[in-house]
Amino acid sequence: MEIVDTLQDGVVILELRGRLDTTNYSFLEEKIMKLIDDNRIHLLVDCTDLSYISSSGLRIMLMGLKKVNSVKGRFVLCCLQENIREIFEISGFTSIFSIFATRQEAMKQF
Amino acid sequence: MTTARIIIRNDIQELERIREFIERQGDEWNLSAKNIFSINLVLEELITNIIFYGFDDDQVHDISIRMSLKNDMLRLRIEDDGKPFNPFHVDAPEDLDKSLEERKIGGLGIYFVREIMDTCSYERSGNKNRLLLSKQVK
Repeated sequence: MEIVDTLQDGVVILELRGRLDTTNYSFLEEKIMKLIDDNRIHLLVDCTDLSYISSSGLRIMLMGLKKVNSVKGRFVLCCLQENIREIFEISGFTSIFSIFATRQEAMKQF
Repeated sequence: MTTARIIIRNDIQELERIREFIERQGDEWNLSAKNIFSINLVLEELITNIIFYGFDDDQVHDISIRMSLKNDMLRLRIEDDGKPFNPFHVDAPEDLDKSLEERKIGGLGIYFVREIMDTCSYERSGNKNRLLLSKQVK
């Protein structure tokens, strides 16, 4: 997995590319923790190019959401591929995450 | 019936070989991208469980994965020589409907497996754990 981060209007956009699984979820965990430490608490995770996620990946997303909420930030997702969206649905995560179809819509949340 | 088999070590980096195995077989058997995704997920969750919790020693162990397809019925058989453990005895997470504050992190992997597959069973045979799963793929 590759993580590309860009700063736009005070929002950190994290583009996840490839697969988020048990072998690499810790990279995303470290990235999110470092951003919060740097007081970057407006995070948008763009999943356009995320092709696979397992429970390890979902766990990190949930951790990110909880951490960011605890410091009164915002953690938003956008552009989930269909297979990934289904996994979010099975998990009941669609009701606790803010998920948007496009990056533009997601940016309006900040 | 066509059958494919892979033997991996109890090392999490082996997930990459599992991915290649499923993609190659999936292409050969004309499985949909969705089915390939689902089976990859099922295997990752089960194998990760075995690697992290199945062995008390620091030895290298083999885990065998057999996948077969007959009349659009895909079957998986996973065998390991770890301590006896039936992953399907673990209850489904109870907090799927709960709010963010109430949700515990974790416990989802086996739940995915049960949601995705049509049948899941466990048996202990000699010193081996054997998981048998099936799913209609069309």
